[in-house]
Amino acid sequence: MKVQAIDWALVAAPTVLAVGAIVVLLVDAFTGPPRTRRAALVPAALTVTAVVVAAVPAAALWGEVRTTFCLGRSDALCSFGVNGLTLTFWGVVLFGTAVVALIGTVEVADGRTPQGEWYFLLLCSATGALTIAAARDLVTLVVALEVVSLPAFAMAGLRRGDRRAAEAAVKFFLVSVVSTAVTLMGISLVYGAVGDVFLVSLNVGPLDQSLEVVARVGLLLTVVGLAFKVAAVPFHMWVPDTYVGAPVAVAAYLSVVSKSAGFVGLLLVLQGGLPWLADVWAPLLGVLAALTMTVGNVMALRQGHAIRLLAWSSVAQAGYILVPFAAGADDPVPSVTATMGYLAIYAFVNLSAFAVAAVVGTRYPAQRLEDYRGLVRDEPGAGWPLAFALLALAGLPPGVVGLVAKVLVFDAAAGPATWLAVVMAVNVAIGLVYYARWLRELFRPAPEGASRYDVPNGVGVAIGLTFTAGLVFSVLPGLLLDPVLSSLTVP
Amino acid sequence: MTDVLLDGLVAIPFAFAVLTRLLAPRERTAVAVAVAGGLLTLAWSVWAYADSGSSLAGSQVDHPWIAELGVDWHLGLDGISGPLVVMTTLVLALSLLSLVRHDPGCGAVADLAALLLLIEAGVLGAFLALDMVLFFLFFEVALIPMWFVINAWGDPEDEPGRRRAATRFLVFTVLGSALMLVGFMLVRAQAGTFDIVVIAERYTPHGAAGVTAAFLVVLGLAVKTPVWPLHVWLPDAHAKAPTVGSVVLAAVLLKLGTYGLLRFWLPVVDPSWALLVPFVAALAVVGIVYAALACLAQTDLKRLIAYSSVGHMGFVVLAVTTYTVGGVQGAVFASVAHGLITGLLFFLAGAIKDRYGTGDLGRLSALYGKVPHLGGLFVFGAIASLGLPGLAGFWGEMLAIRSALFHDDALPQATFVVLGVIAAFGVILTSAYFLALVRGLLQGAPPAVRPVNEDVPSIELATAEVEPGTSMAGAVRTDVDAMEWAAWTPLAVLTVVLGVVPGLLLTPVGEATRAFFGGLG
Repeated sequence: MKVQAIDWALVAAPTVLAVGAIVVLLVDAFTGPPRTRRAALVPAALTVTAVVVAAVPAAALWGEVRTTFCLGRSDALCSFGVNGLTLTFWGVVLFGTAVVALIGTVEVADGRTPQGEWYFLLLCSATGALTIAAARDLVTLVVALEVVSLPAFAMAGLRRGDRRAAEAAVKFFLVSVVSTAVTLMGISLVYGAVGDVFLVSLNVGPLDQSLEVVARVGLLLTVVGLAFKVAAVPFHMWVPDTYVGAPVAVAAYLSVVSKSAGFVGLLLVLQGGLPWLADVWAPLLGVLAALTMTVGNVMALRQGHAIRLLAWSSVAQAGYILVPFAAGADDPVPSVTATMGYLAIYAFVNLSAFAVAAVVGTRYPAQRLEDYRGLVRDEPGAGWPLAFALLALAGLPPGVVGLVAKVLVFDAAAGPATWLAVVMAVNVAIGLVYYARWLRELFRPAPEGASRYDVPNGVGVAIGLTFTAGLVFSVLPGLLLDPVLSSLTVP
Repeated sequence: MTDVLLDGLVAIPFAFAVLTRLLAPRERTAVAVAVAGGLLTLAWSVWAYADSGSSLAGSQVDHPWIAELGVDWHLGLDGISGPLVVMTTLVLALSLLSLVRHDPGCGAVADLAALLLLIEAGVLGAFLALDMVLFFLFFEVALIPMWFVINAWGDPEDEPGRRRAATRFLVFTVLGSALMLVGFMLVRAQAGTFDIVVIAERYTPHGAAGVTAAFLVVLGLAVKTPVWPLHVWLPDAHAKAPTVGSVVLAAVLLKLGTYGLLRFWLPVVDPSWALLVPFVAALAVVGIVYAALACLAQTDLKRLIAYSSVGHMGFVVLAVTTYTVGGVQGAVFASVAHGLITGLLFFLAGAIKDRYGTGDLGRLSALYGKVPHLGGLFVFGAIASLGLPGLAGFWGEMLAIRSALFHDDALPQATFVVLGVIAAFGVILTSAYFLALVRGLLQGAPPAVRPVNEDVPSIELATAEVEPGTSMAGAVRTDVDAMEWAAWTPLAVLTVVLGVVPGLLLTPVGEATRAFFGGLG
């Protein structure tokens, strides 16, 4: 039997993160508990280093379409492949992981989160996220999805003596395990109907009457499973409690990296493997999208807790990201580009909001919206980025990136699913109400006795990175979108 | 050269807004810088307008901006956008000038000036944009600053009220513009481009998608204009905003809607469709009559002027829907005239409110006797607004009614004639409420002689309540002061000039319309 040839350049990025995870764990184990605050920052520094190192081979692959782990002599059936979509998503994951690692440093002062373990888990999860975008068969996809989720439960509950964090972790764990089971069931049915697990082999077109029913049921279950991951209504109930209970950094990770992994899973399975069943999944996801954005926005209206508000807003945003799926598979390129473009933009905008929330949380753990009063005047370095992020999430100038993201989604939906675009337009207006409410607090004169914040350096860098990205891409959206959109092909 | 002129129109106010904000700790300097910025933009816009021809040829900037989406940085100035651009820069410059000696309350005048400059940058961008997505983007640029203006500097006595008004303004406008964007996307799906010049030339709307697109675009713009019954955000927003906010809202921001209808809706609509265009025209006429009746029932000065705007915008929309060159001329002329006249009226209403602490028409009377110059200017504004021949307000409305009678052949004859007649009836109603206003507000016996109803505190009481040491008492402001003359005179003068020589505006608009729309009747 011939030994499989492995293209190491393709697997370099996930490998670097995996090795980085082990290094972080070992360094932590050998140095023992940190004695100074500076020593406590070592795991974070190692994590960021690992991410930067992993970005090098990923960047070197830009513009290429390559596969590895292929079956047999032909290169047709491969388990691992890299193309524009994969690399775009890798960019989102690597950027997101670095920023989350930096946000995680606020926990250092608290001293209740074991830093070594936490960063180990973060890197493990990010490894899975990289792998999922490169998965070209259903088994790799499910395994990668689990690699994303399993460390995330632990990250949510790692803070010692925090019952709410533990509760959040358990809730998240139960939902996630159920969703994985459902996905697995769905995938096995699809496998049973088609007889293959490779995405390219799934795309076989209409089957026999009886087999087609099995494939449709399998598809339905797979979508439901992935809908849990992306927190689409009605599979969203775990989101608010988990986000509020878990440390802010974990909430940021869940809302950006882990959720994006779910969307990439959907893209690969639906657009890549089962475009011939679009008559089932396109209307289904259209309805899910409409429900998700409406429920998310309406629930966010009444929230007085900043993180809970961000949680509901991220549910609503997931609804927007689902909209392009409703356009179906007849003309998949605009749909795929809209999803990926929105994910890329949403990533740094949302991380920016979470980073500032983490800073404010150091002084006001209650995270009431009133606690943000006067932030722009007291701490302009945090206030302006948050104001910008909120406007970008709402899709209004000066947050032009957010507006461009919405243009992308409208562009994909108008025509094949005009009704959904109209629903989304109404939702954009509803969403404004709560973003404006928060924004108003930021600019209200601060109460007496307010003083500047002691912004931890790591979080300061995170805010700076995301804010700069937002500003630059607002002036020149083409800088981000032109390379990303031109590289995207159907998976 | 064109590049510099057009980009400058967006860049200069933006740069001065940033500069003003940076200088905010030194308030007087900051405001002076803002005024300089406003005047520079005004001069720049006059230069750009003089430099451009009446058609778009030769006065365009076109670079790819988001190449993969097909969005271009495409700006242009012609006879349709030019008058609105100059009117905008003029009104903004005067608004900034009015901030120099006058604190609208709530302090932070420099921040307010910076926000006004930001609004100016956005509005000018929208008037210049020839790419649908770019238009949408600039359309929204002005929203957040305006929201701040109403939210933070609005009616100081009614905080929940002004917050509600601000948010309602924001939500309604964004709802409208988001629907408009969906419409634009549908047009793009059919025409293959966002470039409105190409669309006006080649695109023929057809099929269900074409109707849906045109419907969504007009729905979005109707919120902004506003067309009855989508005007509900307007009276509150105007009434609660600070004086400069009301002026800018009425004179400038509403014109984004009417300009959008001209530039971005007419090319995507087909007059031979049975329902859409006559339906919009009918709503516009309902708005004219409704606004006039609502004005008769108003008790607050600013709300009354706000409702009168709804009526004036009704004439503009009616003119647009006739699908003729005369209609476009009438729409642009009425837009500019409304900007000048209603801008002036809101300035005056603000001045009255500052002096007497109230805009309640039940408590204000006999202003002729107390502030004769202010009263005289107000009468001038009112009769200009009701459309007296010889002043600017007349021509736009006359052209609107005329083009309703001589509309495009594809439109239903009887419907438009009836609508034109009703609109003419609306002119009479408009005269009725303005004359009633002038009589109630300005004429009458002085309060000292007039028997005062004991339940209603007279004006004397309202002024006497001002304690020494407050900002209002500090300035002895009985009648119009020099700064106010400086801010208001240009508006009044232009109202007369345009009323006497309407050709100044109508000729270039007519040429531009024929060049842009090719086949308009």
